[in-house]
Amino acid sequence: MDERQPPADEPRAEPANRRRVLMLGAVGAAAVVSIRPALAQTAGSVLNCEIPVPDRGRAGSFIDADGGVVAPGTKGAFAPPPRPFKGEEVKRALTGSQLPGTSYESNRAYVNYIRRLQRGQGGFTCFASLQMPRG
Amino acid sequence: MADPLFRAPTVDLLHVCPLDDAFTAIFHRASGITHLLVSPAPEILAALADAPLTQAALRDRLAAAYDLADADPQALAARLAELVEVGLIDAA
Amino acid sequence: MRHSLAVRIGPIGYRIGADWRAPIDRLRDLYRDYPSADVPDFTVRLSATRPWRRWIRPSVAIAGDFTLPEAAPLPLAQALLAAEMAMNLQLALGGRRHLLLHAAVVERDGQAVVLTGESGAGKSTLATLLAARGWRFMGDEFALLDPVTGLVDPFPRLVSLKNGGIAAARAAWPHARYGPTLAGTPKGTIRHMVPDAEAIAAMDVPATPALLLFPRFGAASDSRHVPPSEAFVRLTQASTNYVALGEAGFAALTRFVRTVPAMAIDYPDGDAAVAQLEALWAMR
Repeated sequence: MDERQPPADEPRAEPANRRRVLMLGAVGAAAVVSIRPALAQTAGSVLNCEIPVPDRGRAGSFIDADGGVVAPGTKGAFAPPPRPFKGEEVKRALTGSQLPGTSYESNRAYVNYIRRLQRGQGGFTCFASLQMPRG
Repeated sequence: MADPLFRAPTVDLLHVCPLDDAFTAIFHRASGITHLLVSPAPEILAALADAPLTQAALRDRLAAAYDLADADPQALAARLAELVEVGLIDAA
Repeated sequence: MRHSLAVRIGPIGYRIGADWRAPIDRLRDLYRDYPSADVPDFTVRLSATRPWRRWIRPSVAIAGDFTLPEAAPLPLAQALLAAEMAMNLQLALGGRRHLLLHAAVVERDGQAVVLTGESGAGKSTLATLLAARGWRFMGDEFALLDPVTGLVDPFPRLVSLKNGGIAAARAAWPHARYGPTLAGTPKGTIRHMVPDAEAIAAMDVPATPALLLFPRFGAASDSRHVPPSEAFVRLTQASTNYVALGEAGFAALTRFVRTVPAMAIDYPDGDAAVAQLEALWAMR
């Protein structure tokens, strides 16, 4: 413990009671708590949302290379995938990998379709949630 | 071997929000994680924001700004270890 | 979907479809005073599954953009409940325009009381009782906190009354319109109540949050202040999208707990809760 007093003929140092006391705490105590999301938020992560290609109102329609929805059998267009894609799969496809069960061309067609989704179309909210930085 | 240097994110990488007398909420932008801190954690983060410091230099810096009543180096080490563990500071 | 309904509840538009007409007709009747939704934010689809295996009863499966994979289908007769649950789920998991808190909200003079609690804590019943005593009903399931303005937007969906709350609501609102009594649901007996005309007419009128309550049923009347840090942590757990909103969620929630006083109240019955709230309101 430092018990020195300043010499009387030197200017006084800042009095100790001007500085706020800062307790460092006990070794076993905690000073930081991280917020863990509630279960509902984990369950609601991107893993659990789906994007059908195309939306169910146009089930069976084909997808052309630009992601437009066209009549089944249209030349150069691709048959729709057999099941909706999961959010996690689309997230990966948006960053360069390929959607499951697709060729290079059909993957590009489906991704273009997804990128063109508008509000109100099936899968839009799932796609929008993939754009958010977290979740 | 040199003493480890502790470094905190610069102020623009954290969103710091005191909530009440005891707790400060911090949003860590890089990770998107929210943490709740009590003294001395927010003060330590602020002291390390300008430049990395060793534990001894940090202690001196805190002592200059505050009255360190219980200046136990093990306590300060424990606070630093906690902050490293949750990813709020780096030890290099 | 052969049958569908577009309905707007506050700022949220839904499109609900089914491959058989009964649940859509029922919803259309209960929501008949609500505006339609031009561009729905969320879609819900109900499918009646009639599995070939005889020992599995016909059930209704819900689908939408967001699903919970382990959700069990409900019996066909509970299709109305399935639709309401699905509407909640799509908003809870997909909502990004507001910070969502599990809470009931009532308003007076432009200021809102937010009553937060788990399912079954009595929020719906309390909100209904307060609405019968001059408060405007703004919702019983979610508080929609606008991250830009800090205001609460209304979400006056059908009130979901459970078990003992049904009788309490009927006593307070004998002339309200009610849906069918649904017995044997996973949460017991459920009955939906259509909110009053004032609540529906004001569904686009936000309110400034002025009091946050953590009500707890079943003990003698008591209350204590809840400091902002405790309110903050409890609300992160009561939110369905705090994490997904990132920094906007952090800013919205810290602003909320720093500006809105919070109290935890114990109450033995609905009347006592109302009395405590009125007393706290007068003192704010």
